[in-house]
Amino acid sequence: MVTEKEGLSTAESLRKTRTYGQVRCHNPSCMGRLQPERGAKQVKCPACGLEFRVAWVKDGFPRIRGPVWDVNKRIAEEAFERKMKEEKRDGAK
Amino acid sequence: MEPMGKVLAISPEKCTGCRLCELVCSVFHDGVSNAARSRIKIMKWESEGLYIPMSCQQCQDAPCMIVCPVKAISRDEKLSRVMVNHDICIGCRSCVTVCPFGAMGFNVIDRKNFKCDLCDGDPQCVRFCEIKAVDYLDADRVSIAKKKAAAEKITAAQRQAIALESESH
Amino acid sequence: MALNRKIAYIDLSTGKIEIKPIPLDMRRKFLGGRGLDAYLLYNHAPKGCDPLGPENPVIVSGGILTATLASATARTHVMAKSPLGGMLGSCNMGGFFAPEMAWAGFHHLVIKGKAEKPVYLWIKNGKIEIRDARNLWGKTTTETQWTVREELGDEDIKSLVIGPAGENKVRFANVMTGIKNSGGRTGMGAVMGSKNLKAIAARGTMDIKISYPKEALEYNKRFIDQITSAKVNQTQGTLGTPFIWGATNSWGGVRCRNFQYNQQLYCDEIEPEAIDEACAETMGPYHMAGCFGCQVHCRAKYKIPTGPYKGVYDEGPEYTSQGAFCGEPDCTSLETLLTGNHLVDQWGMDNLETGSIISWAMELYELGILTSKETDGLDLRFGNDEALLEMTRRIAFREGWLGNVLAEGGIIASEKIGKNSFDYLIQVKGVSNLHSDERATPALALNIATASRGSDHLRSRPAIDLYHLPQEVMRKIYSNPVPYDGPLSSEHTEYIGKPWQVFWHENCYMAVDCLGICKYHTTFLGATLPNFEDWSKVIYLNTGLEFTPREIWDIAERCNMMERLFNLREGLQREDLKKGDMLNHRYFDEPTRRGAPDVVGRVIDREKFKKMVDELYEYKGLDKNGVPKPETLKRLGVEKEPSRLL
Ligand code: SF4
Ligand code: SF4
Ligand code: SF4
Ligand SMILES: [Zn+2]
Repeated sequence: MVTEKEGLSTAESLRKTRTYGQVRCHNPSCMGRLQPERGAKQVKCPACGLEFRVAWVKDGFPRIRGPVWDVNKRIAEEAFERKMKEEKRDGAK
Repeated sequence: MEPMGKVLAISPEKCTGCRLCELVCSVFHDGVSNAARSRIKIMKWESEGLYIPMSCQQCQDAPCMIVCPVKAISRDEKLSRVMVNHDICIGCRSCVTVCPFGAMGFNVIDRKNFKCDLCDGDPQCVRFCEIKAVDYLDADRVSIAKKKAAAEKITAAQRQAIALESESH
Repeated sequence: MALNRKIAYIDLSTGKIEIKPIPLDMRRKFLGGRGLDAYLLYNHAPKGCDPLGPENPVIVSGGILTATLASATARTHVMAKSPLGGMLGSCNMGGFFAPEMAWAGFHHLVIKGKAEKPVYLWIKNGKIEIRDARNLWGKTTTETQWTVREELGDEDIKSLVIGPAGENKVRFANVMTGIKNSGGRTGMGAVMGSKNLKAIAARGTMDIKISYPKEALEYNKRFIDQITSAKVNQTQGTLGTPFIWGATNSWGGVRCRNFQYNQQLYCDEIEPEAIDEACAETMGPYHMAGCFGCQVHCRAKYKIPTGPYKGVYDEGPEYTSQGAFCGEPDCTSLETLLTGNHLVDQWGMDNLETGSIISWAMELYELGILTSKETDGLDLRFGNDEALLEMTRRIAFREGWLGNVLAEGGIIASEKIGKNSFDYLIQVKGVSNLHSDERATPALALNIATASRGSDHLRSRPAIDLYHLPQEVMRKIYSNPVPYDGPLSSEHTEYIGKPWQVFWHENCYMAVDCLGICKYHTTFLGATLPNFEDWSKVIYLNTGLEFTPREIWDIAERCNMMERLFNLREGLQREDLKKGDMLNHRYFDEPTRRGAPDVVGRVIDREKFKKMVDELYEYKGLDKNGVPKPETLKRLGVEKEPSRLL
């Protein structure tokens, strides 16, 4: 129906053609594509293990809302300790 | 498609106040950028964040047409618009005074009145307004769209009420 | 036509006003906007002048494309010597002022001297008048604008104003127009205040002839489609700039507790979605506003939902306010964010500098360098929302010992506070850094260290470096309009190829600022957005002036050199911590502790950083000390500056 298109902006119609249901991991070295389950409140990146809270703009349209703090904080702390140990072992450059 | 019976449909709540419509309207008609020449004007209540696009309503019984002493203004039924014939117009500005929407402008440089001509059926303001705060719709679609929007609001409120109720139980 | 817009010289001491055309050859060399302002500043500011003295000129401008049919030609630029660090002062804002000034017949104003009593300028259709502003003095930024409209009886007047902070010469007072459009950085509001210049009001109904109107309309339509179809701009258009916070705070690119951490934890209340919800609740589903001619509409509208300012309308809050009132001082309340944003808007003070300097003071308080004696009993610890807002007020009105000292900006404040307070100050050239943390991103670190107006993200930041773009995409962007076949790395933690990227963006952003369009309409946050090639067409269709993309690049390089010359004249030395292209030691010494695993444990490598600066200098045609080589000045045609042609 032609009238369905009424009031649609370019951006809006373009949005309609986008692949639904995926977001990108916030870890810049990872940027893995995450596909949260419909309606899920959280998603875990299979590649790097970071976890995120999910907001649903509308059905089938997720957006990362923010980190799951307890999980990502722990991952960061472990990474920090590991790196500091490595640095001690290798010595400062 | 036949442009028959189409009108400028304005949804003020969508307007972002960017005034691109004013810019393209003046460039399209006069080849210059000058908001003062635009046929559409964004009225702003800045301290409340309220923006309302105002343009000619292409009135059926147009006051401007009725008041014109030399009959320079007439209705063009093909495009559902009210037009000024500048060969006849004597520049008395009666139409400017009488238009209830302030949609008849008067240009002091050219000493001519000017109003929205729907860009001969391809309204530039609509074309450039990304969010479609101004749209070009069949006249009968406008009220249907409004009805639909209102209905959506009601159902949304109902849904919310139901959700709240189920939450509190 | 855009090219017949004039330049006005206004002497507030004598009341003399001189209006001149802008010669075409000056346009061909400097285009307009920030570029031409840089020429004017170098030529009109006496070497070593007092930034708050009458001889420091304040220059206000629109770009060469202002109010024409290019996308979002909304930007107003203001330049003077900065009272913050004594180097280049420059700020840029959206809104509707510059187009109105262009319709009133002007592109540039050079304002000198000092009025005896508070005044404002009234610009209407080719005429400029100096008017009494005693009744405006003391008013907030919005009160001032509404009063000017009432007094002159025209609702369509657009004004550039200062608030109480500018009057009080807070060294990071801003210049504002509308509800929240702010020329925030480097204290241009203080310079206006020092001249007793409260406002510049403009109203114009003069035609700007478009050279090829039909073609310009069509081209602009395509241009806009390209801009609005970029995903980054769509997100921007729904969530505003706070959307950036989502990713940057997630991966660890946000300063927290001054510089102790690179991420704020458990801040769910001020996440982009949460802010958006507050805007929707108070202003309805369509709560985004746009600057002149812009279809990105990134400006959110809101009413403060709770607290003492409940129900008050404002716009924003931008990404910068999240950093200033949340990340840096580690406060997590939405109410504080929305209220703080409102207060700095009303008082006319840079949100970014305010938040940054208070967080610095908070760290000094934690360390015992500042005590409750200096704070007049205020418990200035991190996370204390009330203390944050109270200190904001004290700075704006210069109240209490510390309020008055912080109002002087970081460098002077560190001298007054003494001890090793300076070591903790995150600044470059006297200007505080944005709330971003660049320890994991060498390209961004190089950007803030070498930016002409001090630590700043809008001069040369290769923000797209975080996107890990494919090589061929990077190649395409960075080898136009001048060839580049050196290395490029898609890795944001790398040092390789970054100097060229910084150099490229420096020229790209300068060109944008000369045109007077918004950075969201170029290769800033979106890799596919327009740059040099498109501009060459847009300039031609609107003004009839022909430039190749390469020529626009050359102009940008020349204008950047004018800014460099100014800074060198005012004492820039490569490794000087207060006036140089150098970062605080903490970037090199304190590893990041939060964020994504790959971001954790990072510092900037001192040696590699030096090499990056060397390489950037080479591209810019500077020697190892950062001074231009004679052949560079010759190549850019600025070997005889100051030439005093305008
Ligand atoms: S172009 Fe659309 S959004 Fe912009 S001012 Fe006009 S009607 Fe409003
Ligand atoms: S100019 Fe005014 S009176 Fe005439 S048709 Fe338009 S809205 Fe009606
Ligand atoms: S339809 Fe055309 S003439 Fe009418 S307001 Fe829009 S752009 Fe102007
Ligand atoms: Zn991941």
